[in-house]
Amino acid sequence: MRIVVGIKWVPNTQAVRFDPETGTLIRKGVPSIVNPHDLPAVEAALRLREKTGGEVIAISMAPPPAVKGLELVLGMGVDRAILVTDRAFAGADTWATSYVLSHAIRKIAAEIGEVDLAIFGHETIDSSTSHVQAQVASWLDWPYLYYVKRVEPVGGKLLRVWRELEDYEEEYEVETPAVLSIAIKAFKPRPVSLSSKLRAKLEKRVLTWTNADLKLDPRCVGLKGSPTIVAKTIDMPEVPRKKEVYRPKDGKDAARWIIAKMVHDEKLREVLKGLVGGEL
Amino acid sequence: MNKFDVVVVGAGPAGSTAAYLLAKAGLKVLLLERGRGAGSKLLWGGKAYAQPLRDVWPELDKEAPIHRWVTKERISVLWGERAITLEYKLGRRVAFTSPLTELAAWMARKAEAAGALFLDEVVVEEIVVKDGRVVGVRSGGDFVAADVVIDAEGANRLLLEKLGLADRPNPYHMAVAAKEVISLDPRLIEERFGLERDEGLSWLVLGDVTLGIPGGGFVYTMRDTISIGIVLNVGYGAEAAEKGVLRDHISRLLENFRTHPYFRHYWKEADVIEYGGRMTVEGGLRFAPKRLYANGLLVVGDAAGMLVNAGYTIRGVDTAVTSARVAAEAVLEARDKGGFTEENLRGYEERLRKSYVYKELVDHSGVAEIFGDPFFFSKVPPFLVRAASKVFEADYAEPTLLEALKTSAQEEEINMLRLMLKVGRVVRRI
Ligand SMILES: Cc1cc2nc3c(=O)[nH]c(=O)nc-3n(C[C@H](O)[C@H](O)[C@H](O)COP(=O)(O)OP(=O)(O)OC[C@H]3O[C@@H](n4cnc5c(N)ncnc54)[C@H](O)[C@@H]3O)c2cc1C
Repeated sequence: MRIVVGIKWVPNTQAVRFDPETGTLIRKGVPSIVNPHDLPAVEAALRLREKTGGEVIAISMAPPPAVKGLELVLGMGVDRAILVTDRAFAGADTWATSYVLSHAIRKIAAEIGEVDLAIFGHETIDSSTSHVQAQVASWLDWPYLYYVKRVEPVGGKLLRVWRELEDYEEEYEVETPAVLSIAIKAFKPRPVSLSSKLRAKLEKRVLTWTNADLKLDPRCVGLKGSPTIVAKTIDMPEVPRKKEVYRPKDGKDAARWIIAKMVHDEKLREVLKGLVGGEL
Repeated sequence: MNKFDVVVVGAGPAGSTAAYLLAKAGLKVLLLERGRGAGSKLLWGGKAYAQPLRDVWPELDKEAPIHRWVTKERISVLWGERAITLEYKLGRRVAFTSPLTELAAWMARKAEAAGALFLDEVVVEEIVVKDGRVVGVRSGGDFVAADVVIDAEGANRLLLEKLGLADRPNPYHMAVAAKEVISLDPRLIEERFGLERDEGLSWLVLGDVTLGIPGGGFVYTMRDTISIGIVLNVGYGAEAAEKGVLRDHISRLLENFRTHPYFRHYWKEADVIEYGGRMTVEGGLRFAPKRLYANGLLVVGDAAGMLVNAGYTIRGVDTAVTSARVAAEAVLEARDKGGFTEENLRGYEERLRKSYVYKELVDHSGVAEIFGDPFFFSKVPPFLVRAASKVFEADYAEPTLLEALKTSAQEEEINMLRLMLKVGRVVRRI
């Protein structure tokens, strides 16, 4: 089985600060990391490969420093990686990104060999849209399953896939090729070992593809190919915090105290009103 | 594939220097660092002496992330709201300020560019010994073989302890530091500290910033940040805590320092953008491991005790770089002699003894004595400040300096003769 895993190189949002004047994120000087939700996707792909044989190819559309992230997943045991990078791809929204990725997957199928699965993480920490996976599936015209928490090969082209929903789960049989997106924390990513890191570095298994390789219409990629417009961003007001210690007699007493606080505190009332969208 | 000529543990200044020089000499070098990226685990005050670094990288001035050249050195003795400050204006470029994270990352990049293989986020768990010689390192079940291992793990010597080459640290030979980075417009930094563009200041503070506990405070100006911190001797700090003198976390001392009326206007309306803590060595030579080299092993930098803690300044980066340079020379010499046996690596210690690092360490061993004498931290600062207050805060006739010193000594219950003997000893050895 040949599995492609999508990797996004994202600013570590824990370190990102908000510029209140321009309303944008200050990304300068913020270290980038592999989107944490992509690591369970890598793990899912590796486990599947262990059962069926074949290879796992990581793919990322990103500027060149993302090689570090690809080296990380190579260190987890991914067989090879492709960095799709070109100035023309800069400024892409999810639409233009999925367009490029789907063509990269086609190119893998054409030049390396048939692709059976494309696996993604559930969402990214820097934008949380979960669009790209679904759009890749649309471009490729492959079935798409999300919130996936378990995958088992059945034989032939069939996979059994379990989806996790709020209070029940669904079991599917799906024919490959298909696109899966893995539920958050569904698989615990394996640690990166020194020897596979070494191998990743020494064998230089990161391929770079630019638009000279993909030959996509410049109007369909990057900023030009992106229909999304960010009209306005709103900075959520900081919830005022103050420290109070109350030693309740029992659970009931504690609950009474908390509710009384919430109802009587003017500022908190405003916040709650905002949350429920009206009067309390 | 898992076999290298040299494995270097730790991409601090010492490790990256060794990796750089040995890779440049054509050896197959692996540099391992547990942090994400080189330098991410590091924290210091802020100034490095340039010449020893130029000895390794002649291109330093052009390429390194130099923020400001130190043109002003200040030392203050603080007690209560009073302060005595001595300032020296330098006549040439000797030391520069830079965040250590940047400087160490630059050094690691130089090592990589010279051909060393650099891997971060790798924790070396063990230096592996077989048949009386070091044969490589182990991390998470993986073994990497090396003809020679260079231990550059810094002051927290878990690997050397495991090997039995270092004992658990004596708390009186260690210090703990808390530090903050304050963000400020470069022009305001220059205005407030009286600096030209690219000029920097290095400022050490003794006295009750540490509540009289051996240690001190520091201020360094970077390009657009100010680094401030408090260093406390761990042993004396613990004693003070037991006696109830030290009741707060060290970060509270730092907070008091930052908000002290004598200092706070320098960073008025500026934000603290980072804080951190780190252990450092105070023992100098006393902190040195049982041996600096063995069959297939060399120890460099802080791990080797190559840190000059001269009381008024912590100086460990240039000495780490120099010890690593000397170690690299010894490795090449041993290679030419046919192998990295203990006998062939002896050149390391011999060369080190001839270098300025050793002279500094020996000359400054008297400083250890100062740190062994809390008198200088708990008694001398209030005495000096009291004497100064008599001279400068006299409403009518001011006393002569001698009178001021004498009465202050009496009031602080200090024996003048004893004081002079102590001061004499210190001045000779500082
Ligand atoms: C508060 C403070 C202020 C200071 N101010 C100054 C100053 O102004 N000027 C100056 O010259 N010096 C200063 N120093 C001292 C200076 O920072 C050190 O002497 C210097 O960093 C030592 O370099 P090193 O390479 O030996 O060790 P380190 O810089 O400590 O580097 C060791 C590296 O090894 C890594 N490592 C450790 N164990 C492992 C392992 N098992 N596996 C993988 N990696 C590992 C660590 O993550 C680290 O990156 C200061 C120190 C402190 C604490």
